Amino acid sequence: MKQIFSVALVAAITSAVPGVALAETIKVGVIAPFSGPFAIYGKQYQQAIETYVAQNGTSAGDHEIEFIYKDVGGPNPDQSRSLAQELLIRDQVDYLAGFTFTPNAFAVAPLIEQSQTPTVIFNAATSSINSGSEFFLRTSYTLWQVTAPLAEWAYDQGMRTAVTTVTDYGPGIDAEKAFKAAFEAKGGQVLDQIRMPLSTTDFTPFIQSVREQSPDALFTFLPGGPPTFTYTKTYNENGLAAEGIKFLGTAETEEVNLQGLGDEALGLSTAYHYSGAHDSEANAAFKAKLVELFPDAVANWASVGAYDGTHLIYQMVAAAGSDGPAAVKSALGLEWESPRGPLTMDPETRTVIQNVYIREVERDADSGLLVNREKGVIATVGDLGWDQ
Amino acid sequence: MTPLMKSWAPPLALLALAIALSFLMPFNLAFLTRILIMVVLVLSLDLVLGYAGIATLGQAAMYGAGAYAAGLFAIHVWADPLAGLMIGAVAGSILAFVSGLVLMRTQGLTLIMLTIAVAAICHEIANKARDITGGADGLRGIHMEPVLGMFAFDFVGTTGFWYALAVVVVIFVFVALITRAPFGLSLRGIHESPDRMAAIGVSVYWRRVTAYTVGGAIAGVAGALSAQITQLVSLESFSFTLSAEALIMLILGGTGRLYGAVLGTLIFMFVHHWAAANDPFNWLFVIGAMVLAVVFFLPKGIISASAGLARLIKGARHAGS
Repeated sequence: MKQIFSVALVAAITSAVPGVALAETIKVGVIAPFSGPFAIYGKQYQQAIETYVAQNGTSAGDHEIEFIYKDVGGPNPDQSRSLAQELLIRDQVDYLAGFTFTPNAFAVAPLIEQSQTPTVIFNAATSSINSGSEFFLRTSYTLWQVTAPLAEWAYDQGMRTAVTTVTDYGPGIDAEKAFKAAFEAKGGQVLDQIRMPLSTTDFTPFIQSVREQSPDALFTFLPGGPPTFTYTKTYNENGLAAEGIKFLGTAETEEVNLQGLGDEALGLSTAYHYSGAHDSEANAAFKAKLVELFPDAVANWASVGAYDGTHLIYQMVAAAGSDGPAAVKSALGLEWESPRGPLTMDPETRTVIQNVYIREVERDADSGLLVNREKGVIATVGDLGWDQ
Repeated sequence: MTPLMKSWAPPLALLALAIALSFLMPFNLAFLTRILIMVVLVLSLDLVLGYAGIATLGQAAMYGAGAYAAGLFAIHVWADPLAGLMIGAVAGSILAFVSGLVLMRTQGLTLIMLTIAVAAICHEIANKARDITGGADGLRGIHMEPVLGMFAFDFVGTTGFWYALAVVVVIFVFVALITRAPFGLSLRGIHESPDRMAAIGVSVYWRRVTAYTVGGAIAGVAGALSAQITQLVSLESFSFTLSAEALIMLILGGTGRLYGAVLGTLIFMFVHHWAAANDPFNWLFVIGAMVLAVVFFLPKGIISASAGLARLIKGARHAGS
């Protein structure tokens, strides 16, 4: 019964748009938070999509592309699923995109399996999402992808002991596991694993405890925003940098919040896949267009995830129109030059293979602004968390 | 209109409205189903807060308990939907009873803070027990069997809608019966004046515990429904936002009135949906303005609008004569 229904539905959807050769309007449903505390994600996505459209026009191949935005508010799988249902059934979208939080992506997996809708994840970074459906493609990153190279780099730089301090929630714990696994595989030693409650406002006790253990490195994972300010401030005030305890992070110094961190952030080292200061033509063009359209906009990893996701959708539409399975097939192994560097869509994990950069926060001499200066590259890293 | 017809007319009209909506919005069944689930949750809150006068901002605790219990039961034991609802109700009522034994000894602000704390503790337990609950990634792998062995859950959400509607009808009748029974009347009495009820020999404490437990069971059913239909349970089912939104819906509609709970949910969800669809970036403003307007002009909720209008017209006539 269930199968008959879904087959009938797929038939109904596809019969409405016969053949890929005909020019048609392809609709893309974007599910993201546009209101509430996480609205910044939706805003970054929308600006990046509009930047891409401004650069490349509204058509891909023979087809016109149209975006429909839906506000999911925050981590809310019920809402995510019902929005996806509405987009697929009423608006008859051919592609889905967005997805900031892992549960929201998981919630649509059964739907996109049945409707065979390619779904491009702009952010959600848990490796296992892509095993939920063949139709998931991810243009962001996974936590393992950036954390494991960081641990290996730290070992290669001569750091032998480390303490991890992570925020006690899903992504934090993933990051902790990834760091420990990679660091110990190299021969390093994780002295202590500290998990800090999500609502922590005073990091002094944790930082003090790190200082007493005097490791070579301090790995940390924090959710963006206020905790990062306080944490970096506490790190500096307690003189850890002076004691030679190296700060290692990932998204903590992302561009939207970076200027707010102020001089406290100078010298912090992170491993990540995108820096606004990445020196390439693609990045310069992307940033120039973005600022031209939205004077206040700042490009960060969320924008570049959406920008590359939009590129991927354009490529799939040009190759296969509204034919979902063919579109996914055409995307596998696709290579392109992104503002973050060269990308390849991994045919196995369906997450992009990309360079991970080791960066250090510096003050740019020309603009006077803080930037994530790239100091090293770990080339073509795939989703290392896929087999975990 | 005979009294019998009068008492049956509003619920039948609501039922007709639900059925009409399902035909008017065949592409939005998922959305309508979410409204129905919220109606169940808000009804439970109405029983606890509107009738028994137990001030709570933690109804999500029982909702989440029901959701996780039903989800885990479906994954590990039996994926029958109705059995899952029962498990959800049991889980919700156990949590409400156990926490209620302590909570019902307190009142006012203390009570509100403690109800929030219970939900926060549940949230943290679900977060920590990642191996069982999936933590922040959510509980996955829920695949339900057909309802009554006949109606499989489908892509468009037809089965989900009718299933949820049936549950809403059963719960509505159940709550209506409770509130009309001596037990319900005694709850009203406690709400009005606990001292007087104690003076006439009612055990206020146990009545309140019972009301909280029954409300917990209903919230558990709502959680179970959501787990079965979304096929995923997330930590957000314990969130403060959910408790608070349910409370806003209830206040919007009118507390202590069953239709108030239904109407408030319906209006909140529709305005939310409509505003968010038309302007996904600034819709919160519309919701805020609506809540403010209702609180200022109709302090007893939208349900009191007709009575208020009638009074206004009568008053005008009176003044004119």
